[in-house]
Amino acid sequence: MRLFLLFFLVGILLILLQTTLLHLLPIGPIIPDLTLVLCVYLGLYHPTVGAALGSFLIGYSIDVVSSPSRMVGLNAFAMSLVFLLVYFGSRSIWLQNPLVSSIVVLFAALVKSAALVLISAFFVSLEGFWIGATWYIIQEALAAAVLAPVVFGLLRVGENYAARFRAAGQ
Amino acid sequence: MLAFVRKNQVPLSSCFCLLLSIYILTAAARGQLKNEPLGALLMWIMRPLQIASESAVNWVKNFRDNYDTLAGFKSENERLRKRIQTLEVERQRLLEAEATNRQLKALLDFRTRLPAGAITASIIANSANSWFQSCMIDKGSSDGVRKGMAVVTPLGVVGQIVGVTPHAAKVLLLTDPNSGIDVLVQRTRSRGIVSGSLDSGTILKYVKRSEDIQEGDRLITSGIDGIFPKGMMVGTVIKVRKQHIGLFQFIEVLPAVQTARIENVLIVAGDGAGKS
Repeated sequence: MRLFLLFFLVGILLILLQTTLLHLLPIGPIIPDLTLVLCVYLGLYHPTVGAALGSFLIGYSIDVVSSPSRMVGLNAFAMSLVFLLVYFGSRSIWLQNPLVSSIVVLFAALVKSAALVLISAFFVSLEGFWIGATWYIIQEALAAAVLAPVVFGLLRVGENYAARFRAAGQ
Repeated sequence: MLAFVRKNQVPLSSCFCLLLSIYILTAAARGQLKNEPLGALLMWIMRPLQIASESAVNWVKNFRDNYDTLAGFKSENERLRKRIQTLEVERQRLLEAEATNRQLKALLDFRTRLPAGAITASIIANSANSWFQSCMIDKGSSDGVRKGMAVVTPLGVVGQIVGVTPHAAKVLLLTDPNSGIDVLVQRTRSRGIVSGSLDSGTILKYVKRSEDIQEGDRLITSGIDGIFPKGMMVGTVIKVRKQHIGLFQFIEVLPAVQTARIENVLIVAGDGAGKS
């Protein structure tokens, strides 16, 4: 439960970063999807019911703060899907190399984007959406992939701190 | 059944989340998703954090904007500083030109009051040591300068020509111990010789003890030496000392022309110039 809370707080923090500070980065309209990296991390290292709910909640939080009112649930769906796919993939992925984590996040970002676009197209008819979205999706996936090793490292450090804190409490 | 659920609780919960998402999406697309508590709760949690975060971002933005502005000011400042330097150089050049112009004009005016044939010259060098008070001018024999000619300025006597080459001449200044200019005390018409001295500056020599000489008396050329035109300012008496013994008074003189500051002079042929 504590771990769930920790990841939830980290998720909120990452959403805050994505909605505010990361807009200052000089990389155009691209915002690195750090919450996606968190979902991948949860799917890989903490495949629990709490993590699944956490992924859903992170996605839903993004919907609450940024999705149009008639498309609320879109990110919740995408994040849950990513978590599920990573969970299945984690059985056959041996993650020791930061490059591998980047590749996993890159694929996860592409899956998430594809899910977003498909669901958007299903619920809202957007002509020519794919054409404009493709380049944007690739850039965003690359940005997330580049940052993945850093975020993974920070999350591990946070986990170690939490474990030490818990051990000291006991 | 329970064992299956327990074994696959993670994928099942994920699937539940997916279905829940689709349900929410459908409800939202139909416009039925109003006043849902989870969204409100998340908004309630996020709002203060977002306000704080946005404040931090605004601070960073302002800081960056201010930095950019300051950087702009810096480059502007450097540009203006260079411009000021350029203008300062230009100003100095113009001031110098104006000063030279003023001097030359004064010299020209003065020239009209002198005997015909006065030659304008510029000082090009000063004495190489402190033993001799002399300078070089840029006019020589090819310009009509001859040994013994007087060198003057509108302010007064400078010295006399003691050496001539075709394109330059050497001037012995009145402050040199070897110089001697026959002068009159303007007030009393007493005569004497103004000369330089190594220890006491410029002095007036050979003035009898009985002569009434006072501080502030003006000394002018007598014209008797045949070198300097009569009536030119030589200096002012600044100190008079009558010793207990001796025939003459000891008189210190402040030269009318500060020889160290002059740049342009006039060379004048006195009555006896070139004869010696």
